[in-house]
Amino acid sequence: MSEPNSKKEFAENLLAQDPPPADKQQQHKEILFKKLKLRIWRWKIIGGTIYLVLFSAAFWAFQQRRNTDNLVHSICWGAASLHILLWFLIYFLRGIYRLTAEIIEKSSGKDEKQRWKKQDRFITIVAILVFAYASTILYRSFFLNDPLKAAHLAASIFWPTVFFLFWYPFGTASLVAKLWLEYKKMEMNIPRNSGQDSKMQVE
Amino acid sequence: MEQYNLSNAILVLKCQKRDETAFREIVNRWEPRLYYYIRRIVENENDVWDILQETWLAVFQNIRKLQDPLKFPAWLYRIGHNKAVNLLRKENKYVQITTEQIANHYENNTTISVVKEQAELVHKLLGKLKLAHREIITLYFLEGFSISEMAQIIGISEGTVKSRLYYAKHKLHEALKGANYV
Repeated sequence: MSEPNSKKEFAENLLAQDPPPADKQQQHKEILFKKLKLRIWRWKIIGGTIYLVLFSAAFWAFQQRRNTDNLVHSICWGAASLHILLWFLIYFLRGIYRLTAEIIEKSSGKDEKQRWKKQDRFITIVAILVFAYASTILYRSFFLNDPLKAAHLAASIFWPTVFFLFWYPFGTASLVAKLWLEYKKMEMNIPRNSGQDSKMQVE
Repeated sequence: MEQYNLSNAILVLKCQKRDETAFREIVNRWEPRLYYYIRRIVENENDVWDILQETWLAVFQNIRKLQDPLKFPAWLYRIGHNKAVNLLRKENKYVQITTEQIANHYENNTTISVVKEQAELVHKLLGKLKLAHREIITLYFLEGFSISEMAQIIGISEGTVKSRLYYAKHKLHEALKGANYV
């Protein structure tokens, strides 16, 4: 049993003593993959529903703008529709950023992971606070009488949004660059001969 | 062997990205082994299939949390072990051996040499061992896990693993001797 091969053969022989019955295994797999498909679809349906609800809400707000005689309300409903759409876009960009960061996380050390998680938590908290504050300002602008003042106030809520619209795409870009650097470092560690061998095989 | 581990790790990485084909491949690759292992813990075959279902669903749900894809086998067996033990606890069939935990002084020095032709006999003898010993020796023969990996899978100390492995090997050695195989 000293050689790995004989160990492997022994394990294979041991497994052959009590193999899973083929019919039951087939049945089990069918049920399992059906359940998995349902789970995958469940998340797709939930995601799709959230997107549709938010998009409908934004469109409804946009329609409200047209249906009102009050100029202040018209401005505010327009701002509300953009407010919903832009924050949904930020949420979507954050998803991409996190996905990229998770890939990097696997190749980085513990300290790097902690740093990334702390930073992400901080930015998320700031984003939630900014969203809540902007929504309050927008709500308050509905009660103004002067359309010019209302327009100024409604437009001001988009400035902090711009920060997040830049933060997440640039963050993702820097993570991708980091990933590329890691790949290059890995590539440089590969011995020259192995590269030449593969080249010769191709030729 | 290294190539096998690497292809396994790639499959795990693909699974983490929710690749259904990779997950099917992982199930095909690991199911017979997991079936054999769980069958050594749980007697009822229908229960084994239920545990396998629960195990794979848990694997699919939590595979993103697995940091090191190379540790997938031990992680998979740990989930399987937990599911099987939960079922045994529900049926009051799981008895923890606590007395042997003080027997940490046993060293892993009993070498047991079996050849592939003896697999049938070893399989039969496994049924005669206590559950705790049977589980350890199954993991040892099936995957060749290290002491620390086995300790992680079963959730016991490394010392306890060593003593259980010692007892199990000893018993198996005796039985093989009795059958004139050693």
